[in-house]
Amino acid sequence: MKLQATHTTRYLYSDVVSTCHSEAHLTPRPCPGQTVLDHDLSIDPAPDFSATRSDYFGNPVTMFSISQPHRELTITSRCAIDLTPANAPRLQFSPPWEEVREEAHRRESEDDFDASQYTFESPLVTLGEAFAAYGAPSFSPGRPILDAANDLSRRIFEDFKYDKRATTISTPIHEVLESRHGVCQDFAHLMIACLRSLDLPARYISGYLRSDASLTGAEASHAWLAVWCPVLGWQGFDPTNNTMPGGRHVTLAWGRDYYDVTPVKGVALGGGEHVISVSVDVSPMPGE
Amino acid sequence: MKRPVEQTQSKLDPAWPYAATPGFYDELLGDNEEVRAHWRKLSESLTAMGHDGLTRRWHDGRRLIHDNGITYNIYSDPQNNARPWQLDPIPLVMDPEEWKAIEAGITQRAMLFNTILADLYGPQRLLREDLLPRELVFPNPAFLRSCWGIMPQGGVFLHMYSADLARSPDGQWWVLADRTQAPSGAGYALENRLVTTRVMPDIFRASHVRRVANYFQAYRNALQRMVPVKRENPRIVVLTPGPYNETYFEHAFLARYLGYTLVEGADLTVRENRVYLKTLGGLLPVDVIVRRQDDAFCDPLELRSDSMLGVPGLVQAVRSGTVSVANALGSGLAESPAYAAFLPSLCRQLLGEKLKMPTVATWWCGQEGPLEYAAEHLEELVVKPTFPGTGEDPIFGEELSAAERERLIAKMRAHPGRYVAQEHVDLSTVPVWEDGALQPRHLVMRVFAVSTGSSYLVMPGGLSRISASLSNMVVSMQRGGGSKDTWVLGDGPAPEFSLLRQPTHPLEVSRATFDLPSRVADNLFWLGRYTERVEAVVRITRATLGRVFQEGDVARASGLNLGLHVLQAQGFLAERTGENTPERDLISMMYDPGSGLASNIHQVRQVAGLLRDRISVDAWLILNQLDQQFSEHSSAETVHVGVAQDRLNHAIITLSAFAGLVMEGMTRGDGWRFLDIGRRLERALQMAELLRNSLAREIPADIGVLEAVLEIADSSITYRSRYLTSIQTDLVLDLLLADEANPRSIAFQLARLQEDVDQLPASHTTIRRPAEARMALALLTGVQLADVRELVRDGFGSTTLDALFTRLIKDLVQLSETLTRAYFSHSPQSRQLTAS
Repeated sequence: MKLQATHTTRYLYSDVVSTCHSEAHLTPRPCPGQTVLDHDLSIDPAPDFSATRSDYFGNPVTMFSISQPHRELTITSRCAIDLTPANAPRLQFSPPWEEVREEAHRRESEDDFDASQYTFESPLVTLGEAFAAYGAPSFSPGRPILDAANDLSRRIFEDFKYDKRATTISTPIHEVLESRHGVCQDFAHLMIACLRSLDLPARYISGYLRSDASLTGAEASHAWLAVWCPVLGWQGFDPTNNTMPGGRHVTLAWGRDYYDVTPVKGVALGGGEHVISVSVDVSPMPGE
Repeated sequence: MKRPVEQTQSKLDPAWPYAATPGFYDELLGDNEEVRAHWRKLSESLTAMGHDGLTRRWHDGRRLIHDNGITYNIYSDPQNNARPWQLDPIPLVMDPEEWKAIEAGITQRAMLFNTILADLYGPQRLLREDLLPRELVFPNPAFLRSCWGIMPQGGVFLHMYSADLARSPDGQWWVLADRTQAPSGAGYALENRLVTTRVMPDIFRASHVRRVANYFQAYRNALQRMVPVKRENPRIVVLTPGPYNETYFEHAFLARYLGYTLVEGADLTVRENRVYLKTLGGLLPVDVIVRRQDDAFCDPLELRSDSMLGVPGLVQAVRSGTVSVANALGSGLAESPAYAAFLPSLCRQLLGEKLKMPTVATWWCGQEGPLEYAAEHLEELVVKPTFPGTGEDPIFGEELSAAERERLIAKMRAHPGRYVAQEHVDLSTVPVWEDGALQPRHLVMRVFAVSTGSSYLVMPGGLSRISASLSNMVVSMQRGGGSKDTWVLGDGPAPEFSLLRQPTHPLEVSRATFDLPSRVADNLFWLGRYTERVEAVVRITRATLGRVFQEGDVARASGLNLGLHVLQAQGFLAERTGENTPERDLISMMYDPGSGLASNIHQVRQVAGLLRDRISVDAWLILNQLDQQFSEHSSAETVHVGVAQDRLNHAIITLSAFAGLVMEGMTRGDGWRFLDIGRRLERALQMAELLRNSLAREIPADIGVLEAVLEIADSSITYRSRYLTSIQTDLVLDLLLADEANPRSIAFQLARLQEDVDQLPASHTTIRRPAEARMALALLTGVQLADVRELVRDGFGSTTLDALFTRLIKDLVQLSETLTRAYFSHSPQSRQLTAS
């Protein structure tokens, strides 16, 4: 399935911004099941410096700065993606979750090494008893890891209410756990916290969701997570929609949490009050 | 011949009673209470000098500390008063052979940490091969992922390294802690040396003490090597978190000593991927940043977004190789005490050598064996957080009750990886001179190493720190400890060498003050304005208060009314309710911390505090005392009129002293110029307000008003000597508005202002007069052209006079704003923007 996406971020300032420095994780990351056909990032006003590199986690990241005075900044990212999802794994045939935990601890292969760094606390994902306890009912002894993770994803989908006004990006996840309200970032963080509190490797994925009335979170950038499984590799879960990504999820970047892969962040000098508007549109390519 | 002399001196002279403390190694006394060989020269000299001699000499030492303004900020002090540096006159003497072992050990550790950092911020072989547990890196907030893959100039992550050393009862030295982030103390060590050698130059020379100046030369060389793209006169800056940092004095001192500009984050900006210093002369490129703040706070874009101290875009500039930072961003990672547990094996693996200088025994609780050991032996151990900077203090097991110990063990078992347990060393003792006698105190010695490119050079000396008492094992300047100079004995006389006198390559001396950061110019401008504002309030208040008891006298009464009116019109005195007598209202205003005189004085002190490295110590002390005088009265109700008048008289003298220091002591550069512009502008403003509120009122100014105005304007004597006549309005107006010879007149201020503004950098560089210069000139000519007689003839309450002052005030305010825009580039607050 070929998709095209347009992601527009617009800042409006009440006062002039003299300089701004930004970092954007807006270039889709090539990965199994996803081929990037085309990508274009346009910034208005034009930056006087811009460079794209690979970050610590291997994601493409663009640094740019604007030194001309401006009151408005528009960042438009357009991409064309070919999604060729593998068949969904048979959840029941994955190894028991305790074995995955041990494997990640043994850390024998390069894959294990990579996975092991996603078992720790990170800036927005704290660990603790409360998260382990919430995850526990899904992780009964010997249960296959993907089956257990799928069950956890379903429970979050059922127990939590999607509510854009309930949280901000600085709302700690223990509050999300208590209030049972949040958005896709919160649910991804929460599920990661449950998995890591059980010592399982889990990473955060930032991306887009193809618009569809049946799915939540398509009008802005979306977030889900992946859990690590030996041999099968990383397997995605989208607790906001109680699905496993395949055919509709476009991956931009992954990291420990939102902090590592924030789509656009910046520091502006001046500007007074500001308003941000973000729009994301994902649709099939013409002819699909 | 020599031996018998030494033998007679092997015991301390009875006039200097001191004994080793059982259970501890004593630095001075060895077996049988004999003075150790390397201390004998010093002990002989002290004996010869006697207590009286030392007292006399140390009097000079303390004066030097005061005069040099050596201070240390105590974080817990709510007043945020810097406290004088605590230095003991008796140095710590180190045996040359023993020092060689320390040098070798410290050099090796510095190399080792540099190699560890190069691996963790690169291939991470140590983690892949489990030579270092991943738990010490991946969850560590000091592991800055955005700095991963950046290879610093020459592969040197640690331009400086320092370690705290302690000696156990068996005489062995141990490393207590490693400092890789932004090691502090070298500047204090140098100050200690400067003071001690001034006090005992003869003993110092006779003892063949090794010099520390070559360490600072190496420090400069190391920074020169870091310049990314070689060019003439590269710009090196010292980045400080600011005056409230505990070691701010050292930042300012080192910058001055080494000849670098001291900057704060807001003084730097990144443009097109290059770091610039914002100065009055424009943006100047920066090549090397010596950072004295934690790396995580250095860039709010890629590092901690809550940092107010950083430079947005710095990491990317470093990544692009246009600027170097010392120590490299990310170096704080090696400061975890847990690394100590793995150093012996890392040293073998990475350097192929045995670790020469051991760390005090360390257990990282993230491993099962060590956790159990720590839990069992908690009483003998110190428990520290694995990742420093979490705000948790070290916990001494022996100080805990059984219940507290259980609670701590439970916490450790819940998150074992977060804790490190260390043995604590029974710190050696050393004599300090206190209350005229020698007293034993515990010792921790901080030593310093600087990169030489391929290896490290250890400072032959260090910062010896001593505990506040013998029973206190925590040695910390924050907790009232003191310090000592450290004398490492050499084999023969040391060559004379000081960076202060003769750097190896001559410094480029430039008279221009182009490096004056805009922020500093801004602060100087406001220091000038605030001090003048305070003087104005003091003078009006004094004149008013002096008239409260002569209400029977008509002239006096109208003077009193004028004073009250002016103070209210200018917002210094609240609208009077009539409940209190004028004197009570005035005295309340003097001490009102919200809006009155005291608050204006406090503003002066605050802005002066931001300029500690720019104004003289005496100027600072003067302003500090002034603030104390007006803040010590908690209740103004208890102050008598006489006392208040004394205070005001004293304040006038203090402010005059400050103005004198500024006029006589400050170099006539742009810094002075902005201070002067601030003063002139404010004085002109205050005078215009006074004249508008006295002479341009509906009520004609009677003799009482004119007398009061002359007194407030400090021009009574000038008037009398000049006019020899009764007081007339037109003459008063002429004297205070238009007379360019009267240093209190508006015309005088405007003439000076115009001169100052014409000398500013923008006036040299453009052919056309810049806006501020044109405004200053227009203001001056406007007043010069005013016809005083005509103004007065138009009558009082006339709109002409009022309009003149109103316009003058408006123009002065506009000039202030124009200067602000042109020079202070009031870096607007930076803000975080994130969007999903």
